[in-house]
Amino acid sequence: MAGITASDADVVALLMRQHGEIRNLFDEVERTGGDERRAAFRRLVQLLAVHETAEEEVVHPFTRAAVTDGGKIVDDRLAEEREAKEVLSRLDGMDPDDPKFLPGLLALRLDVMAHARAEERYEFNHIRRSADKARLASMATALRAAEAMAPTHPHPGTESAAKNMALGPIAAVMDRTRDAVRKAMGKDG
Amino acid sequence: MGFNPLEHQGIPLERQLRNWRELNVEPVDPDHGDPYTKCRVITMNGIEVEAILFSHQFARHCPDPEVKRQLAEVRYIEHQQQKAVNWLLPGLSSVLETTIAYEQVAVDLTGWVARHEPDPYLKQAYEFGVLEDFDHLYRYANLYEMIEHRKAETIVDGLTEVMPGRPTKFHHRNPVDNVREPYDRTKTDPLSKLHALTIMSAEQQTMNFYMNVGPQYMEPIARQLYQEIGLIEEEHVTHYESLVDPGETWWEQLVNHEYNECYLYHSFMEQESDPKVKAVWELHLNMELEHLRIACDLMRRHDGREPAEILAPELPNVLTFEENKQFVRNLLDTQMDLTTLGTGYVRDAHERFERMQEQIHGGEEPPSERVMAQHREMFGREYRLETEGPHPDVASREKD
Repeated sequence: MAGITASDADVVALLMRQHGEIRNLFDEVERTGGDERRAAFRRLVQLLAVHETAEEEVVHPFTRAAVTDGGKIVDDRLAEEREAKEVLSRLDGMDPDDPKFLPGLLALRLDVMAHARAEERYEFNHIRRSADKARLASMATALRAAEAMAPTHPHPGTESAAKNMALGPIAAVMDRTRDAVRKAMGKDG
Repeated sequence: MGFNPLEHQGIPLERQLRNWRELNVEPVDPDHGDPYTKCRVITMNGIEVEAILFSHQFARHCPDPEVKRQLAEVRYIEHQQQKAVNWLLPGLSSVLETTIAYEQVAVDLTGWVARHEPDPYLKQAYEFGVLEDFDHLYRYANLYEMIEHRKAETIVDGLTEVMPGRPTKFHHRNPVDNVREPYDRTKTDPLSKLHALTIMSAEQQTMNFYMNVGPQYMEPIARQLYQEIGLIEEEHVTHYESLVDPGETWWEQLVNHEYNECYLYHSFMEQESDPKVKAVWELHLNMELEHLRIACDLMRRHDGREPAEILAPELPNVLTFEENKQFVRNLLDTQMDLTTLGTGYVRDAHERFERMQEQIHGGEEPPSERVMAQHREMFGREYRLETEGPHPDVASREKD
């Protein structure tokens, strides 16, 4: 195996990186306030949407098809995702300065983290075992195409809630991500 | 007047067994809360593991079936204590996150002990070890950022700095140079016995942990780094266990173990910030008081001696998890280039050391160096957390 430094060619290393970035964004939302928090939370929500969409399009189908009892593994992951999404949708309509926001965010963080760890332990290990190098690389390409839909670091001058909101509602982000992934998979998959 | 565990009554042994519901402790939060709470959990797990392993060894050397049964009864409770303590760690943490917490323990526990150790020879042994664990923390922190894209400051929370110590590649010494001289059980300060037992137990658990979790990693550099540092933890166990006077009888050792457990649970109860964890320390202290009473009875009966002869009249000042930054920086400034020769310390790379280095490295860079090269390749920099200014050792500062 190429090892983690060649992460651009390994979908698992890329997914692990996104898990880290999601946690880093949680940290940022927790330690900021006001507009800064609103902006960080928008980025978190977008990254979560992009990450989960890409997994649904790229990673879970592979697990279903290539891993023994992969369907059951994916079903468990989707159940965790649903739980996290419910907490997320409750938070999404809330003002980040609302006193109920932070406790909700901490609950979401634990749900998201439990889901991510379960993926790392019960799904990604199968992917590394079952996918050859070329497949790991083509899945990585699709994931990077998805990632382009969610800038994890704010671009200078766009650090305002209004402009981040301009990226559109979550459903639209997910649609765009899905299109980008499918295009990339068609090209390389 | 301080706390004298010989004068307090604990929970009777027949009332110490816990059911599944009582053992089902709620783990601490993986990302929030006091990092030193996790450090106390890791320390007490190491202490309980040593209690269990010691009791097993004792039983294997014990011809008296009555004593064997007595040991088995207490040991089963100690096993439950280990479960209750170690299961406070959250399942959401990755192995590397727990590893970084283990190294934070090694730095700040050994640092505190080194600062409070009255015997200069023993003090030097702890000072020597601190700089090695400190370097392990730095290597694992860089591996952590490579794999999980998180910074180790989210774990150590700025309480412990992360930067080079004595380079890990120089920790591989000829095994004979890892054996130190023991303290004299008849003359040493009782506090020194507790220190030696505590640090030996912590390092032994670190060794056990790395030797078992290392192969769970898929990334080749991670597997290799655990192998390398795992071997150094063996050296540390050899180093610290040889400080203990081998002339102590089994009974005496048993009493020392139980007394030390009382000391540490009492210390941690006094400083714990998490109320649920504090309740565990308090409960376990009350269990240990009874274990100590039983050990003291065995010593009186089989050794014909009064335990008070070998113990301090009261517990020493509480052992505290706190910052040791200035202490470590002073060591970085003065003890980076030390190695061991026989039971002493030298600054020269002597012949036996050089031969070991040649053999184990085989002309290549070890994993602890390659992890840094790979990190630099990936991020164009190292991961460090230097909260108190640049590295005191100019040669160890990061090069652009």
